[in-house]
Amino acid sequence: MTNKHVVRAAIAGVCAAVLALSGCGASNNTANGTANGQSTGATGGTLNVLLSSTEMDLDPAKSQGLPITTNGNIFRRLTAWKITQGGETKVVPDLATTTGEPSDDGKTWTYTLKDGIKFDDGTTITSKDIKYGLERSFADSLTGGLSYHKTLLVGAQDYHGPFDGKHLDSIETPDDKTIVFHLNAPFGDWPWVASLAAFTPVPEGKGPASGYGKTPVASGPYKVESNEAGKQAVYVRNKYWDKKTDPVRTAGPDKIVFKMSQDTSVAAQSIMQGTGEGKNSFLSGFVPPAQLAQAQANPAYQKLLATSGDGALEYLAINTKRVTDLKVRQAIEYAVDKKAYQTASGGEIAGNFATTLITPGIAGREKYDLYKADSTGDVDKAKQLLKEAGQTSPNLKLIATSDQAETASSIQTSLKRAGITVDIQTLNDDVFSDAETNNEGDYDLVIGGWQPDFPSPYANISPLFDSSQIGNGNYNLARYSNPEVDALIKKATETIDQSEAGKIWAETDKKIMADAPVVPLIYSKNTFIHGSNVTNFVIGNFPAYPDYNQVTLASAN
Amino acid sequence: MNILAYIGKRIASSLLVILLITLALFLIFFLLPTNPAQLSCGKPCTPEQLSRVSAFMGTDQPWYIQMGSYIAGIFVGRTFGTGGGAVVCDAPCLGYSFRLNESVSQLIADRFPVTASIAVGAAVLWLIIGVASGVWAALKRDTLVDRTLLGLSVVGVSAPSYLIGLLAVIAFALSIQIFPSGGYVNFSQDPVQWLYHLILPWLVLAILSAAGYTRITRTQMIGELSQDYIRTARSKGVPESVIVFKHALRNAMLPVMTMFGLDLGGLLGGAVLTEKVFSMQGLGALLLDSVSNLDLQVLVGATLFAAVLVIIANLIVDICYSLLDPRVTLGRN
Repeated sequence: MTNKHVVRAAIAGVCAAVLALSGCGASNNTANGTANGQSTGATGGTLNVLLSSTEMDLDPAKSQGLPITTNGNIFRRLTAWKITQGGETKVVPDLATTTGEPSDDGKTWTYTLKDGIKFDDGTTITSKDIKYGLERSFADSLTGGLSYHKTLLVGAQDYHGPFDGKHLDSIETPDDKTIVFHLNAPFGDWPWVASLAAFTPVPEGKGPASGYGKTPVASGPYKVESNEAGKQAVYVRNKYWDKKTDPVRTAGPDKIVFKMSQDTSVAAQSIMQGTGEGKNSFLSGFVPPAQLAQAQANPAYQKLLATSGDGALEYLAINTKRVTDLKVRQAIEYAVDKKAYQTASGGEIAGNFATTLITPGIAGREKYDLYKADSTGDVDKAKQLLKEAGQTSPNLKLIATSDQAETASSIQTSLKRAGITVDIQTLNDDVFSDAETNNEGDYDLVIGGWQPDFPSPYANISPLFDSSQIGNGNYNLARYSNPEVDALIKKATETIDQSEAGKIWAETDKKIMADAPVVPLIYSKNTFIHGSNVTNFVIGNFPAYPDYNQVTLASAN
Repeated sequence: MNILAYIGKRIASSLLVILLITLALFLIFFLLPTNPAQLSCGKPCTPEQLSRVSAFMGTDQPWYIQMGSYIAGIFVGRTFGTGGGAVVCDAPCLGYSFRLNESVSQLIADRFPVTASIAVGAAVLWLIIGVASGVWAALKRDTLVDRTLLGLSVVGVSAPSYLIGLLAVIAFALSIQIFPSGGYVNFSQDPVQWLYHLILPWLVLAILSAAGYTRITRTQMIGELSQDYIRTARSKGVPESVIVFKHALRNAMLPVMTMFGLDLGGLLGGAVLTEKVFSMQGLGALLLDSVSNLDLQVLVGATLFAAVLVIIANLIVDICYSLLDPRVTLGRN
């Protein structure tokens, strides 16, 4: 995902449920809360998901949601995410028989569909349905979703969707079971891209240019019975789904009800009290601070909390276009008090200290620390570097939202120790997101947060450090541009052998940090709350969100 | 001037007000350094994709062209894009939300019943509670009753509605479960459930808003009861109940009606905090969302709708005025 604000909006808007995985052998651990293992749970009952968002647009073409949240249980794609509690997230075949067969040095990817896969009306899913679903995502009225495929597929720049009868030739369907993708350049992460919502099959003629998101055709274990904005969406079983063909969805509850427009404080209270539907519910967003404190203080409620492992990277971006002296940026690396930042973010439950750009839980990550210091920083070293740079008391402008008031002030205080004066400019949320991503870049420092869209170093590094991602609404907040790094990113992206690619990514990670464009602060953790009868609340190493495909009830209600 | 001519004149001036509101909204929105197309661009967003989205939504045009197309859309409808992928918004098109994939008129039609249910019910309750306690306090002036009612009204006026709402939910919906904790049920679907879900929000809003009415009714009643005509009526032996309800209250109600009209009109435009705490998706929540999502068309459409409601409420109050007080003539120049 992106910047913290965008993350919040995206989570609010598009949380998806997925049911993956059946028994992985770990014992069910609901009794002590934070780490629920996988158990079979009960089959049946109604699970409630409480959302603060006011509508659920389920159009797969427009979705930026994770494949394991709101739409995971209704939409299957070519590949899926297999998530285990505290384990590494893997890409596995879903509708297809493999995660993709590369040829032509990784520029062509071929998939064969499984037998026995059907839509909720009983018709068989063909490769043409997947092609049609993807083509829809190019229509001008259906933009807004994750668009990795749009920059990769040949000829996609000039394609405007299937509604005028035109088709995208770089997606071939030689027969009903086979689909072939032709890319502009080799792309090793294509199996992950094929797990995103745009790869959901849509029967031709049944996915209009607008209005499809209310009750779309389902391919997963559930179908949408009703979807009323501001009230609720009800998922009921899709009798044509065959569990044998699905490696990730467990489909425990008979019904999943997404209750919209929930006030998060009221929702968290009702879950804690466990009255009525509260015990069979979970809150899709994070626990609000007041209720988090309340739950942590009460052993009966504590066990209802589930905290993720290391998630999104929170970092201090240094605008390299304005703070051009490497020594000054390195001084900032040493001067920042990560401990104070952690405390301002809510303490240890907010996240662990970060040193690398690739986040834990992502294949290819190598742990290292180029700027070794206490968690409170190394002020002497910082002062010395500033002296060498000939700038003993630089003045820097930090832009922040009102939500970041405390964390921004912790940065201000910690840099002051080394003689760096930070002026904080507080901006309204909308103005802030423009200011940090526009072409001017009128700031020296900004605090960012980044959760990748899929667990690969590509989604971790490329959006934040590739020079093509500066301005224009993109998230290279350090405005970092290094041709060598661009070349490494390109090389890693085009490497099909993933263990080979991983090595290049690790090298890229270190190379970027040597230029000190950002200070990694913490890998933030998310804390969720679920009712006492909710089980299999699995949170893998990636993403820092529960896997809706597996959540179920301990006993059918 | 007859009443129809009066209404006609008021409608003409209202249209001017509405036009000015539209102008103000467009100007404010375009002064913000943000690009609404950005939100629909997708991720990652390339400059080509961004310009495609802007062209489709029409946000690549100067603000006055956009405002012109918006106003024209109200009368002749709008079409975004061309060919098979075009999105059509039929007249009267108050705008189209690309975020919600719905015309603004449809969104308002969906959300207004929720807000109207909350507002009208609460308003009737608070008018009854407020006026009754105000009259009571005035009649028992300077007694314990008066002091207690005044004291309570200070609490009511100053208590934040979100806090009281949250406390009410925790007390009456979660601890002693006599009311649902939120949600809205359509009247047509189940009138009993509709009522059941609305009681708590009505009470919270009514108790908080009644406070102001208690105070104003009390002051007005005390003023009226000390007037010469009341003394005359008393000396003529008119029963006290007639004096209080027929003479004094009728006059005391004039400023109360003005306040009621404005409050009800404003509330119909959306009871933001109440809707939020009780998980009801009304116009207030829609407006709030449109602001945080830079959804200009929803923002303008819903604001215009709310403005029309306030204007209508004022019109009704003025007409009621003339009925309550024969000295007031409509449209007197």
